[in-house]
Amino acid sequence: MNSRNFSQVGRSVPRIDGPAKVKGEAIYTDDMVLPRMAYGKIKRSPYAHALIKKIDYSKALALPGVLAVITGEEAPNKWGIVPQTANEVALAVHKVRFHGEGVAAVAAIDEETAEAALNLIEVEYEPLPVLLDPFASMKRAKEVRIHEEAPDNILHQAEQLFGDPDKAFAGCAYILEKEFHTSYVNHAFLEPHTSLASYDPQSGQLQLWSSTQVPHYLHRQLSIVLEMPMNRIRVTVPAVGGGFGGKGEASSADFCAALLSRKTGRPVRVTYERSEVFATNKGRHPCHMKMKIGLDKDGYIQAVDFDNTLDGGAYAGWGIVVMFYTASMIHLPYRVPNARARVRRVYTNKPTCGAMRGLGGVQPRYAMECMLDELAEMIGVSPYELKMKNAVESGYRSVSNLHVPHTEFKKCLQTVVDKSGYLEKHGKLPFGKGIGLAGGYYISGTAYTLYLSYKPHTTVLIRLDTEGGVTLHCAAADIGQGCNTVMAQMAAEALGVRYEDVHVVSGDTELGTFDLGSFASRLTYASGAAIKEAAKQINDKLFEVAAGMLGCRADQLEVKNCRFYSTFEPDKTIPWEKVVDVYTNTVGTLTGIGHFSPPRLKGIDLSRGARVQGANIGHSPTFGFSAQVIEVDVDVETGKVRVVKVTEAGDCGQAVNPMSVEGQVEGSIMFTLGQALYEEMKMDADGRMLNPSLHDYKVPTAMELPEIDSTIVESYDPTAPFGVKESGEGPVQPTIPAIANAVYDAIGVRFTELPITPEKVLKALKEKKEKEKQ
Amino acid sequence: MYLNHFEYYAPRTAGEAFELVGRLGDQAKVLAGGTDLMLILKEKLIKPQYLIDINGVKEFQGIAYAAGKGAVIGAATKISEVEHSAIIRDKYFALYQAAGELGSVQVRAMATIGGNSCHASPAAETPTPLVTLRARVVIKSAAGERQLPLEDFILGNRKTVLGVGEILTGFILPEPAPRSASRYAYIGLRNAMEIDAVNMAVNLVLEDDGRTIKDLRLVMGSVAPRPLISAEVPAILVGQEFGSELVGKAAAAAAGEARPISDIRASAEYRREMVAVLARRLLQEAFDAAREV
Amino acid sequence: MKKQLIQLEINNRVYEVPVNPRDLLVDVIRKKVGLTGTKKGCGQGDCGACTVLIDGAPVLSCITLAIACQGKKITTIEGLADDRGNLHPIQQAFVDHGAVQCGFCTPGMILTAKALLDRNPQPGEAEIKRGIAGNICRCTGYKKIVEAISAAAATISKGVVK
Repeated sequence: MNSRNFSQVGRSVPRIDGPAKVKGEAIYTDDMVLPRMAYGKIKRSPYAHALIKKIDYSKALALPGVLAVITGEEAPNKWGIVPQTANEVALAVHKVRFHGEGVAAVAAIDEETAEAALNLIEVEYEPLPVLLDPFASMKRAKEVRIHEEAPDNILHQAEQLFGDPDKAFAGCAYILEKEFHTSYVNHAFLEPHTSLASYDPQSGQLQLWSSTQVPHYLHRQLSIVLEMPMNRIRVTVPAVGGGFGGKGEASSADFCAALLSRKTGRPVRVTYERSEVFATNKGRHPCHMKMKIGLDKDGYIQAVDFDNTLDGGAYAGWGIVVMFYTASMIHLPYRVPNARARVRRVYTNKPTCGAMRGLGGVQPRYAMECMLDELAEMIGVSPYELKMKNAVESGYRSVSNLHVPHTEFKKCLQTVVDKSGYLEKHGKLPFGKGIGLAGGYYISGTAYTLYLSYKPHTTVLIRLDTEGGVTLHCAAADIGQGCNTVMAQMAAEALGVRYEDVHVVSGDTELGTFDLGSFASRLTYASGAAIKEAAKQINDKLFEVAAGMLGCRADQLEVKNCRFYSTFEPDKTIPWEKVVDVYTNTVGTLTGIGHFSPPRLKGIDLSRGARVQGANIGHSPTFGFSAQVIEVDVDVETGKVRVVKVTEAGDCGQAVNPMSVEGQVEGSIMFTLGQALYEEMKMDADGRMLNPSLHDYKVPTAMELPEIDSTIVESYDPTAPFGVKESGEGPVQPTIPAIANAVYDAIGVRFTELPITPEKVLKALKEKKEKEKQ
Repeated sequence: MYLNHFEYYAPRTAGEAFELVGRLGDQAKVLAGGTDLMLILKEKLIKPQYLIDINGVKEFQGIAYAAGKGAVIGAATKISEVEHSAIIRDKYFALYQAAGELGSVQVRAMATIGGNSCHASPAAETPTPLVTLRARVVIKSAAGERQLPLEDFILGNRKTVLGVGEILTGFILPEPAPRSASRYAYIGLRNAMEIDAVNMAVNLVLEDDGRTIKDLRLVMGSVAPRPLISAEVPAILVGQEFGSELVGKAAAAAAGEARPISDIRASAEYRREMVAVLARRLLQEAFDAAREV
Repeated sequence: MKKQLIQLEINNRVYEVPVNPRDLLVDVIRKKVGLTGTKKGCGQGDCGACTVLIDGAPVLSCITLAIACQGKKITTIEGLADDRGNLHPIQQAFVDHGAVQCGFCTPGMILTAKALLDRNPQPGEAEIKRGIAGNICRCTGYKKIVEAISAAAATISKGVVK
């Protein structure tokens, strides 16, 4: 099947949840009220590192209207998105490790009482020294230990060696070695975490509605913490107001709502304040990176040496995954024949870092794309030439065993360079104006579950009958990215009906069939594969019936535009609904079920411990690619950088919904522009966050919107269902380095620390002037 | 986050308002736009027992202008009304600019010009141009009325001269001098929703020759506990012909006068440098504009 | 503290609600009146998600006292579609132009856009950006929102729908 024949896939149809959302009728978790519902609030630590000596909540319990108080000791089981490193608890037990960590929770008949009760809980702390810097944390580990089981204050460290980088460097004509530092940023999704739990004491069933990206992983964690079997828990995802990775694991709102509901026998809702969203973070890891790149005399990359210290904050979270991703991400989108990565993820007394859009890719991409820009200058060629020369092509397999079945990366680079006039402008603009180029890529799904398993990652059930039409069941979570619309389009395409005819039942672990969750840009690909399989089962049955009705052979039929046709006698045709009627009236409801399991790579077997040097992370069925050219104006008096124009080209395979893809691309660019120029969580010496509000944590407003010219390059991955790849995390990758390269082009200063603030720009300009004087 | 409990009063007349502030005394807070007050109430920084909402008092609202005499702006006038007032734009350009840069369209629809001065945040937008334009405040109480220059009204961070029983009811802006122009600008990370790291306004009056500076006022915001009126810039420029060398000297002098602090928004050093940049730019803009008048 | 019964006129209907003076408009609209289309993103007047129109002006309901809104006309997102459920042109444009992703900023964004178009029926791109600068959207990157508002302005000015 090639893209030209699609009728439902490839169309910019409006989202199916659009009308409800513009009318304010979409129901988010905090919009829900259940009979007898109580309100939960969490008491948080005023210390970043302290022993909990005593918690006295008798006064809180005595307050009229208070129904229950819980502390960490009531549910001490450790949970974690990665089971091997699980070290988080619902509420702190004996010790707090970051400012704002939950120490107790209250349920009361109304929110006012719950809030008042928090002030009546008395907690006695014994403060401990606070470690906020990963290097200080490693250095002082003997004296201050954040977790008992981590004597070096390191969650995990690893070295990966592919080929012989030392030997390769020895033969290189050009070598560049630099350090880069990225900042501590938060997703700043607009809907704070919220969770509503309803435990039924009679049946022992718990239903939890949560603003989550990962109903399945939340389901597992609830089972661990509550010590209840998963089949007694149902997780439902109402409308979600953004996630970007921040809702990619359970939150204490989930656990506290569930525990309080079980304790009170009432539904309990916990909704965070914005300050709690910052306090519990799980945002991007600040990375302290050293990178060394060697090129041969012709400009081909020969070796990359990468050293990364990740500031992980207080708990494990997604940490080990992010750490290995940063190591993995140096292997694409350029050919790297020899590579070494030494990475470590360090504990500090800060709100934990976790998954954030394009996790593990953004930081090394920043380093690598800036360094290639600089290397191009060393050699005396255009960065474009250098990147094109080294860009990977379809069928490439990296030394780390990442297989790229299909790529249009070169086409992306070419498109942005042509459309922006990069070659005519680069190096030739007046002082203060600059243009920068960067490339990037991201995975389209993961190869493995976070726990040891080879089960299918996504299951789609399609149900069909006269009464209900087409219903697609899948527990995938639409967090705003639009997977429900995209699944409807793919199902419609496969069944030959219109996308409006497909009812999507998603975001529910009971009504929907299994799905791992919305992360790793996995859903379009994974659900697409499962949809194809499920639809085939349905089509096989319907084709038989239609063939009988039309008097021709089933294998000579096609279905399209709600009709069955004979391939050879187009006059032989019958409406799709009639065939469904006949099937339903004779056999009954028809179902098809499809599963998606990522392709396994030979030589890797998790159950036997055969991995790629400690981590198979980064393996993906396919990869999406993006290139960006960014133009900036630097006010050389104030140091303010203004992004004027972004030219983007992306290879997302076949775009299922081009308008949605554009939305992902434009959103990605603005999201990351904020990290490049404005956003940073700041802490005082005691680990208290100084800017836990959208007042002083500065995300881009509409006034920062530059001209964006994005192109979806013609692409079709023949190995992918409907030819699709990711589009929501690849486009975040090039933005920071493209801005940094543009700033260099504008003022001749290379920034290796984020964000690139006016103060830093001004300081650098002064230093440059001083140097030039000497 | 809940506010502390308080009793709510909404007087309809100035008389009622004066009676209430007089009677309830320092246990009461006056509620105007609420864009600052609500936040500090949420933070529990203050816990008033009474709120007196003056938004219903017509006498405290509106912009009146009389040619040759100047403008009177009611303290409870919304920033958005100031922003969209043709007369303010025409006669008091710096104030128009500052009003347009304050917060967001929502904040401007809620916040009042009087509240912006009464909250007395060092980073406030409108006090800077108002002081530059030599605004006088009108303070009234049941006992009577007094007037004083705005610079004498704001004492420091969240401190004003308002006494118990008094309400700031309006601003009196003198008629701009012939051949004069005012300009405002700020420094912030983004192009909207900023709490200014530095702001500044300049009002410049030219002699008939169109080159010599007859009078000048330059006021800096966010670099001192209250709007800082430059003494040195007028000393350098008044009576002189406008020129880039003198402007450079004046800008450096302004930077020298600034007394900024370092906080999460900017360092003192950066703020000081920005004072010089803004001074240079605004003096030039105001000069160019004054020549056009 | 004793609650008082106040009347709030929301979307042309008068609601009688018991409130404490300290109760914020966003909470009263969402929890007491039950119109949950108005969203609360930050509670500090920074994100614009809670925007409602009061006498036509865009107001942050998370820093507005409900008790202060007596005698005023409040419009929430639920009051924008017409009586037969047809979308307002701004709502329709948001759907058609892909200006909605997670949808959490959408109600506030649309009401802010309405206030903008009521004042300035044919705003340029720069005016639209400035008009919505107080409404944070983290998903779309704003581009499609600006396009949608522009398209809605064109539709309205054609007089197809008022």
